Amino acid sequence: MTTNCDSELLVSYLYDDLSGEDVAAFERHLRGCAACREALAGFRGLRSTLSTWTPPQPDFAFEIADSHSPALPPGHARLHAPAHAHPHAHPSWRAWWTPAAGLAAAAVLVLAAASALAHVEIRTGADGFSVRTGWNTSASANAPVPAPALASPSASAGVDLTKYEASVADMQRRLRELEAESHKPVMPSPVRMVSQTGPANHLSDAEILTRVRDLLAQSESRQQRELAIRIAQVVRDVDAQRTADLARIQQGLGRIDAMTTADAAAHRELANYVITSTRQQK
Amino acid sequence: MPPDGQTPRGASKPTENVTSLGMASTDEELVARSMGGDLDSFNQLVLRWERPIYALAYRVIGREDDARDVCQETFLRAFRALGGFKGQAKFSSWLYRITLNLCRDWIRRQRRQPVAQAPEGVDLLDLVTETTPTESIEDLVARRELSHAVARAMASLPDEQRTAIILKEYHGLTFQEIADLLDCPLSTVKTRLYQGLTVLRRQLAGAGLSGDSLTRR
Repeated sequence: MTTNCDSELLVSYLYDDLSGEDVAAFERHLRGCAACREALAGFRGLRSTLSTWTPPQPDFAFEIADSHSPALPPGHARLHAPAHAHPHAHPSWRAWWTPAAGLAAAAVLVLAAASALAHVEIRTGADGFSVRTGWNTSASANAPVPAPALASPSASAGVDLTKYEASVADMQRRLRELEAESHKPVMPSPVRMVSQTGPANHLSDAEILTRVRDLLAQSESRQQRELAIRIAQVVRDVDAQRTADLARIQQGLGRIDAMTTADAAAHRELANYVITSTRQQK
Repeated sequence: MPPDGQTPRGASKPTENVTSLGMASTDEELVARSMGGDLDSFNQLVLRWERPIYALAYRVIGREDDARDVCQETFLRAFRALGGFKGQAKFSSWLYRITLNLCRDWIRRQRRQPVAQAPEGVDLLDLVTETTPTESIEDLVARRELSHAVARAMASLPDEQRTAIILKEYHGLTFQEIADLLDCPLSTVKTRLYQGLTVLRRQLAGAGLSGDSLTRR
């Protein structure tokens, strides 16, 4: 740079920190100053070189762990370090999130979604318990007759006491019958599946249980099948990647080896030449 | 965003965070909520700035573990001193100042070469994990060597020149912000940058790493 060159201007221009007029003035200077042009080109190349210096990327995940306010004296705040930094610390939720846990959660979600879609409703009544599916909330002809509800104090004002006593007695009788039936080994309590989207099906609870078990077994086997497929796919991918990586390593090592051998040969020749020359001079 | 892409974790931009409602919380808003005792807001700030702060500490002191310690200590000190933050400067500038003070203390304590010495050997197996599909092992080795050469050249600079270059080149601060952080005039910052860049250029060229060859890589 010449004595007329301004290093501060050059740095400002390099980092785009000049106003429009100053840019124009400096570019006029650049056209006539080879030294500044060369310095600018060198600095631009240097900046691209500097960008190759990258720090490592550690796994942070530390955070302020207690709820003391910033106004509290020092010593109250503390940092939660990442779990791997402190082996005895509680692992984060990610550590608990295993594939098996994921599958279990997915299964629960699927069952929950299916039951929500089907709007399964299980009710117990005086005449046994019933399973209702479908979204129609109006009373169905096949729905079990609901047991008389216990009247609240506010609602009991208009209820005839004799009817109320009769309904209580009827309920007690049904309960006794239900208890008696439940003790019979062969005769299960009646289960009624009420579907408002199709014809009514009268199934025993044993059949219902069998069907539910079948559905669960099918779902389980399907998930196992899918899991096996996924695992096989992952294993294949890992194997392919490993093979490719090993091939690349071998290739790189071979090239490095060849270069090293060539360098060694050149050094050997040079050393021989130096020794020979030294001997000749002696 | 800093030129080397030190994008903060969990945020699209260093100064903003998109909440679940799609609203952006600025650093200043998070600081205000933190001062009101909202710990989550402060932890969002940690999440947003931990990588840039770590990168700054690493480049100044050159050791991974110590840089991590400095990073954690920076946020701990910031949390404790949050009541004294008046908002006259940007929150990030305040964090940078704390980090640089901690780095300065660390360098004084260590009384050693501030930037890490690059390892002598290159572990090929280690390198393989860093390769991109289009990058050969030779390219990767060259990139590593280049990075180490830059680290060595930076280590040879005086502290004030190195700090100015790091803040400008890797963190994208303005000249004025650097001047405020380093408590020196604007012209001094530019002079330090010019001198530092000149020394770096000479050293890297001496090592056979000219700008032209580097841009070709």
